[in-house]
Amino acid sequence: MLTLALDTATPRSSCALLEGEKLLGERETKAVSVLAAADALLAEAGFSPADLERIVCGTGPGSFTGIRIGLAAARGLALTLALPLAGVSTLNALREGAPGSLPVIDGSRKEIFTLIEGRPFVTRPEQLAPAPGTLCVGDGAVRYRALLEAAGAEVPPDASELHLVRARFHARLATDFGPAELVEPLYLRIPDAEKALER
Amino acid sequence: MILAIETSCDETAAALIDDAGRLHANVVSSQAELHARFGGVVPEVASRRHLELICPVVQSALDEAKLTFDQLDRVAVTQGPGLIGALLVGISAAKAIAWGKGLPLVPVDHLLGHVAALYLEPVGLDPPFLCLLTSGGHTLLLDVQEHTTFRLLGTTLDDAAGEAFDKGARLLGLGYPGGAALDMLARKGDSGAYSFPVARLDGLDFSFSGLKTALLYAVRGLDSAELERRRADLAASYQHAIVRALVERTLQAAEKIGARQIAVAGGVAANSELRRALAGAALAPVELCTDNAAMIASAARYLKPLMPPGYLGLDAYASRQLA
Ligand SMILES: Nc1ncnc2c1ncn2[C@@H]1O[C@H](COP(=O)(O)OP(=O)(O)OP(=O)(O)O)[C@@H](O)[C@H]1O
Ligand SMILES: [Mg+2]
Repeated sequence: MLTLALDTATPRSSCALLEGEKLLGERETKAVSVLAAADALLAEAGFSPADLERIVCGTGPGSFTGIRIGLAAARGLALTLALPLAGVSTLNALREGAPGSLPVIDGSRKEIFTLIEGRPFVTRPEQLAPAPGTLCVGDGAVRYRALLEAAGAEVPPDASELHLVRARFHARLATDFGPAELVEPLYLRIPDAEKALER
Repeated sequence: MILAIETSCDETAAALIDDAGRLHANVVSSQAELHARFGGVVPEVASRRHLELICPVVQSALDEAKLTFDQLDRVAVTQGPGLIGALLVGISAAKAIAWGKGLPLVPVDHLLGHVAALYLEPVGLDPPFLCLLTSGGHTLLLDVQEHTTFRLLGTTLDDAAGEAFDKGARLLGLGYPGGAALDMLARKGDSGAYSFPVARLDGLDFSFSGLKTALLYAVRGLDSAELERRRADLAASYQHAIVRALVERTLQAAEKIGARQIAVAGGVAANSELRRALAGAALAPVELCTDNAAMIASAARYLKPLMPPGYLGLDAYASRQLA
């Protein structure tokens, strides 16, 4: 089963190619170039896009534009090649890459995206109360290192790959393959204009 | 066969055109209602809706033309100018479709697209001609020398004509986007009732920002009953001022470059008074004036396609690069 997995929700986006459970390759990329990374991975492994059998896409949370770049590509590919698509939350994939950790994604606006009791939330970093010794990973953990460490959490060195969203973990977590339109973005925030209207 | 995709603003659109330039499908899904309550297009709201609509719109274009992805030769997509987040949805989907089938991709400039609406039947225009491109974001006078090469003769120094229509419509309580509604209302009014100033500039440039201020003052002086009574006259007079400015400048430009043919494209080209005033010109069909993918498909016929994987890193651009 040749699987393409991608996640473009964070600035350091990722694309991976797997044959069954075997990782054939993985690349870090900019969101807009994610299909260039996919093309290189396929070429290296001696395949072409037509050989793909299923797709896995990170659904966020993260950059709204980034999430859409990945999902538009994944849905477009699924439609064109009649492939099943599965969505995996970027937070879950990040945690899978550092077992037992708390994933923390930079949400800009002085906010972070994280899991609280296993569910995705947007909150302020000061609101996080990690149990002492909790390993915090992700670009949000790097950005708010001082705050998290002061609260007793552990944050790996900035250069640690544990902070990276890596698409091989999306492939590992993907279970529900199905029609592309059922895989939805996980924005966690409504547009500012809607908030303003509600007021 | 070319599949074209357009998502630069608040229309999600897909079209199919064959080698002879014949349209096989032209699907436009407008988000206007979604944005009406905000009084304008909200980029994030538009981008979210594009993601929901892009695949269904492409599929319905294929269904309408009774075609499959295997029958495509190329994919074309609007690269800019427009809302970056909105453009990137179309670009990303277009890349995926083209790459999936190993096809070339043609990035198309949205403004070239508006002009290329004129190349389609039944107008079937060929360069050279002088083009008034008047839309929601642009008001350009272009010396169109070849299908894809233009010389810029004039532009607006502030608001675009479509923007002036929309702002005027809002002041008159016509909602958003109000250009077409203002056009309808103006038909019942007297265009000589009010005299709105049109800025006199040297050269071939436009300025419309003074106009909306003049309308604001005219509206402010009226109580609501009076406004209701004079609304059609205000609309007619306001529209007349915009159209007069557009027509005058266009004729001056035509004279200056000795143009034998004048053409009008872009959303405001749908305006009935402008169409009457420039009846001798080539006019884009009304349904191809506002944003659509047929015009992008038309432009793509004259552009050099990019081969895979050369286009896989393609990014969007926000502002005018053309001419
Ligand atoms: N009948 C009409 N009379 C006047 N204005 C109209 C009419 N129909 C549409 N418009 C105006 O046309 C504009 C929309 O045109 P278009 O879709 O070409 O613009 P856009 O794509 O938003 O901007 P641009 O093409 O410059 O990026 C709006 O401002 C709208 O009010
Ligand atoms: Mg337009």
